[in-house]
Amino acid sequence: MRASFVFSEVLTGLRRNVTMTVAMILTTMISLALLGGGLLVVRMIDKTQAVYEEEIDVNIYLTNDISANDETCSDDPCASLRTRLENDPAVEAVQYENRDQAFERFQQIFEAQPELLKLVRAESLPASFNVRLNQPDRPQVIVQSYSGAVGIESIVDESEFLQRLFNAFNGVRNLTFAIALVQAIAALLLISNTVQVSAFTRRTEVSIMRLVGATRWYTQLPFLLEAVVAGVVGAVLAIALLVAGKVWFLDSVLGGVFASGVLRPIDGLDILLVSPWLLLTSIGISAVTGYVTLRLYVRQ
Amino acid sequence: MIRLEHVSKVYKTSTRPALEDVSVAVDKGEFVFLIGASGSGKSTFLRLLLREEVPTRGRVYVANFDVARMARRRVPRLRQSIGCVFQDFRLLNNKTVAENVAFALEVIGKPRNTIRKVVPEVLELVGLEGKSARMPHELSGGEQQRVAIARAFVNRPLMLLADEPTGNLDPDTSQDIMLLLERINRTGTTVIMATHDHSIVDSMRRRVVELDLGQVVRDDSRGVYGVGR
Repeated sequence: MRASFVFSEVLTGLRRNVTMTVAMILTTMISLALLGGGLLVVRMIDKTQAVYEEEIDVNIYLTNDISANDETCSDDPCASLRTRLENDPAVEAVQYENRDQAFERFQQIFEAQPELLKLVRAESLPASFNVRLNQPDRPQVIVQSYSGAVGIESIVDESEFLQRLFNAFNGVRNLTFAIALVQAIAALLLISNTVQVSAFTRRTEVSIMRLVGATRWYTQLPFLLEAVVAGVVGAVLAIALLVAGKVWFLDSVLGGVFASGVLRPIDGLDILLVSPWLLLTSIGISAVTGYVTLRLYVRQ
Repeated sequence: MIRLEHVSKVYKTSTRPALEDVSVAVDKGEFVFLIGASGSGKSTFLRLLLREEVPTRGRVYVANFDVARMARRRVPRLRQSIGCVFQDFRLLNNKTVAENVAFALEVIGKPRNTIRKVVPEVLELVGLEGKSARMPHELSGGEQQRVAIARAFVNRPLMLLADEPTGNLDPDTSQDIMLLLERINRTGTTVIMATHDHSIVDSMRRRVVELDLGQVVRDDSRGVYGVGR
């Protein structure tokens, strides 16, 4: 196989129907950028989830009686609760926070919102146990065995809130994938159409090639490569789009959220890790589409 | 070299067979005219040899290939041993004379130095030396057909199939083309030529196979066009 021959055929083909080629590249690009975006959301969710899972605690809020009278947790029922928690095999660590400490932390958190601070007085905050679990993914164990115990007002499992957050992200991800799929179908049809048009405009060449005994690879590889080249260009543009989206949109709009540590940011490495998949997907899909089209529409 | 045994071909779109129980054998180095009215089956005959079509019944042998039954991936090998020339030349208009001829070798993966060597040789053989850089539209019909013949012959095929090669040419030019085909035949290449041209067939006095409605009605070893009609 003479590479230079095939290469020049591919270039001629792409130039000859340049509008179609551009359309093919752009649809591929959008489809892949959406797919990439979806994959990045998945990575962000995974990373955020991993971080939170390590830090997920269960907060056990104590009754007003304890909050008001037992600053050091030295009397029952607070002391016995602490002992029980400390001896619980599911618990890694227990920390007692009295009303004053809670108020102090509250003031720190809402430093920027003085109106809120004015509304809340120390008396409205409960004392609590902050319980770190051995198995952070199983907070239910604590919730179930301590609910209703003497001195406990309520038990809050932080993971419930996070679950709702992640559900929202998963929705975003599914939506991106769905749009990516629709775009991918459009890209697929365009690739197929371009290959057909390309084969048609060069039917004389192809018929001569067949007559003089060129193998199927020789006659059809140029068309197949045209599709693949367009696919690769589309993928590269999609990756560029993702980088641009990160730099000019995510980092500037969501910069604050990332900085606060609520969400893990998408960094360059994430895009680097997603890129090969976009390229491979693009090459694979365009090659298969091109091949199937040639099988179906072009006679050997 | 070529053997058709009881070959019939029925196209799906037609009830009448294009060829019906045709048996013909052609030896190596023969020159055969294939004659008959339009629709008599000449083109189908040639297409079967190239495996553009497969017979509905019967066997087709070309060189050492069992054409009707061979694997699809071996078809290029068969076609590399057959050169083809058509009434409409089928040249690539965006390539020069030399590039047109070289194309036939490029697409079957011949090395570049071989191509550089044999293309001028074959252009000289067909009498086009000095015109290798011309574009097809700058040439006369006869010259274009010479390019087509050069392209068909450049890979030194065992046989040359010519489907009405003089159909678009005036009588004098046709005569030149026939001389060229004869020359190629003298190199040992089998030539099968489908034609309507009475005068050419009559003047050459070669083997004539006549088809009528898909059947062989005549096979003379030194025939003329119109005998018996």
